[in-house]
Amino acid sequence: MLTRLTGGRVVDPANDRDGPGDVWFEDGVVIAPPQPDRQPDVAYDVTGAIVLAGGIDIHSHIAGTNVNTARLLLPELRSDPDATAVPASAEIGRLYIQMGFTTVVEPAISPHVAVQAHLELASIPFIDTAILTVLGNEDYLLELLRGGESKTAIADYAGRMLVGSHGLGVKAINPGGAAAFKENVRTFGLDDVVPRYGLSSRAIMRALQQAVIALGVPHPLHIHCNNLGVPGNVETALATIDALGDLPVHLAHLQFYGYGKDGPLGFSSAAPLLAEAVKAHRQVTVDIGQVMFGQTVTISSDVLRQFNARGQAHPRKSVIMDGDGNGGGIVPYRYRRTNFFNAVQWAAGLELFLLIDDPWRVFFTTDHPNGAPFTTYPDLLALLLSRDLRAQWIGTVPAEAMTVTTLPSIAREYSWPEIAIMTRAAPAQLLGLADRGHLGPGARADIAVYRPGADLAAMFRHAVLVFKDGRLAVRDGAPVETLFGRTLSVRPGFDAAIDARLSGWHERVFGTSAGVFDVVPEVLGAAGRFETVPCRQ
Amino acid sequence: MELARRVGGVIDHMHADAALRDLDLMRRAGWVVTTPAQARARADVLLLAGPGLDAAWPRLWDELQLDRAPSVFPETARRVVRLCVGRVAASSADAGASVLTIGEDAAELQPALGVLRALVAGRPVRSDAALLQPLRECASLLSSARFGVIVWSAEWLDALSIEMLCGLIDDLNAKTRFAGLPVAPGGNAMGVAQVGGWMTGFPLRIGFARNRPEHDPWRFDAARMIDSGEADLAVWISAFAPQTPPWRRAVPTVALVASGTKFRSPPEVEIGVGRPGVDHASVTFDFALGALVCKQVTTEQSPASRSVAEILHRIGGALHDVPPRPC
Repeated sequence: MLTRLTGGRVVDPANDRDGPGDVWFEDGVVIAPPQPDRQPDVAYDVTGAIVLAGGIDIHSHIAGTNVNTARLLLPELRSDPDATAVPASAEIGRLYIQMGFTTVVEPAISPHVAVQAHLELASIPFIDTAILTVLGNEDYLLELLRGGESKTAIADYAGRMLVGSHGLGVKAINPGGAAAFKENVRTFGLDDVVPRYGLSSRAIMRALQQAVIALGVPHPLHIHCNNLGVPGNVETALATIDALGDLPVHLAHLQFYGYGKDGPLGFSSAAPLLAEAVKAHRQVTVDIGQVMFGQTVTISSDVLRQFNARGQAHPRKSVIMDGDGNGGGIVPYRYRRTNFFNAVQWAAGLELFLLIDDPWRVFFTTDHPNGAPFTTYPDLLALLLSRDLRAQWIGTVPAEAMTVTTLPSIAREYSWPEIAIMTRAAPAQLLGLADRGHLGPGARADIAVYRPGADLAAMFRHAVLVFKDGRLAVRDGAPVETLFGRTLSVRPGFDAAIDARLSGWHERVFGTSAGVFDVVPEVLGAAGRFETVPCRQ
Repeated sequence: MELARRVGGVIDHMHADAALRDLDLMRRAGWVVTTPAQARARADVLLLAGPGLDAAWPRLWDELQLDRAPSVFPETARRVVRLCVGRVAASSADAGASVLTIGEDAAELQPALGVLRALVAGRPVRSDAALLQPLRECASLLSSARFGVIVWSAEWLDALSIEMLCGLIDDLNAKTRFAGLPVAPGGNAMGVAQVGGWMTGFPLRIGFARNRPEHDPWRFDAARMIDSGEADLAVWISAFAPQTPPWRRAVPTVALVASGTKFRSPPEVEIGVGRPGVDHASVTFDFALGALVCKQVTTEQSPASRSVAEILHRIGGALHDVPPRPC
């Protein structure tokens, strides 16, 4: 079916396009304008509206055992329709597609529990999804590194784990920290050493970074640094950038590392320092993990950090799982607008968004639901587009908190092309998705159309039209029909000899073969759902 | 789950009582837990708490390799204490566990756990002198652990005992590392609870009568609903083993069951199904692995090996012909 969107402002920075024009698509793919004698089967007049490619969220906790444990831990959130910290799977798809997002990456799945994550993703309608495979705390990897195994062996292991778990990339979460926590270590920095293994977090990160590059995986190693949330942790983030910034690396939810120790309460925003470091290291990309105010639940495979955060739980309960590899922790939390610390966190995130002036390297996240549910995205986008709106919000938070941040002095407002880069073109490039994030011929027809108005947040909350693979999914902010998307993964090559070694180790340590945790699409009833993203040769 | 949603029905599980005893504690107070694999790999001290563990997890000793050193750190010694009431299976003692017998009655366990927790916390206690010394030794052992694990089964422990164990784990974590290992009830109960979690936000005992999922452990107890006459139709699914429905009242029943299932009153419809992971491929919660896993089969499929999912899908397909229920 040939479809034409006509008259809208097409903002497609990947193809240097920003202005009134048409977008044509057929059979799920964007095409060049056809010959004049071809008439569209369907035409939509979107004059006055903004036409963007479908949004891509690179870091949002939407599936897996930790997310599901959060659901089971917090049944009280079900009775509040506005509490969207851990929606059921069907709701996740609906809420994302209404905002014009069409691809979402769940960034923290240990290989042992990848089957459940993929089952959950298959239950999320509308959007395409992917997982990042979490490595860095498994005893097998730590044994390899302790034994001085070659870079090739580490890459073979990472490749095997990616293929078995059907991951799109590799994530390392406080590498070594979870293993150290099992040895009763309560703080773990970049150069602290995992007991019994003698390995620093720095060494584990570096090994995994090189493995990802050797495998040709498009998405660079995705790092959750040490010392998340700790006052003064900007030093950790700066040291991590120094340690890894000569090669491609992605630092997740940077806001949670943007803290100094200045000010009346020994807690301040160090975002300007961090922004300068990111700007100076061209191989570094970051997402923000913006804090927004309200009830949420923190869900993290940084089990050590979550254990230490238990005292701040609201409501007062939490789950800590000393799992295989990273495990995880679930700690509900309420960010309060009137709280000094929460206001500094909110400001630090916005500072990072606004001070890092390269939208190709800064990504739009709240680390859902850790900084805020993804349903706050419309409000956050509005804050980036309008300094007047920011000024209004600044007037509602503790004035003292604004003395330890530069936010009130920042005048920058994001432009539409910058929004399109940050939420579309750049994520597609970062993840290696050549057919997403743009509206050029050959692109997947994932398209979002917004109607600008005085209420910027309302515009983003309910797109007027959203197409997924060329099919109309949303009209006037409401789903039209329930569609199901794909799951994206990479299939890097590796030496299959690692299978025998891994299985021998698993038999000895866990009494089972390594392959029992593998995701088998046919058994999931999802054989046609998986799509392979090519690795670099 | 989808079928129940369409017809406004209720989902329950035959092991929901035990599963909810654990989950209720978790969602009221939280907990620190681990997996069987981690217990096997690194636990240097294990407390097997309460009766019924052998019945709930017959392969506990083998799968945790309790008679050997932690598998990932073989240089570390492993010590196992069995906290029990009544007679102990000889095999446990033979395998090298210390046995601490509280008494003859399960009701004696709860106060003993209170004493143990107080001893670990260094609080003054008064207790039966004969019991106090072994409990003191047990407390000392737990406190000396590097990575300790407490194993229990909610099929055999009451809610307060489980809460006491989780509190004990919290206290121990102030100085060392400890985690709980609640043994998952049978019949893939935790797998069902997980699916309930992502489809509705709730674990077992979910009702769909109001066009949205609701969760109520008492209201949606299937046996109660049927015995009280609230429910007028049951779909009984028992694929893992031939299990008889727990209710007493005769109710029109559609049964999807393993061969050999016996009923108090014969079902109106009985459809034989295969065993998940044995007769047909499946995804089930494997407690020993601590995860949902894919289980493939290589045998030829026969009509008797059809999966519950396939049958329910076909029933759902036929429901298109059913007129909508009156409001």
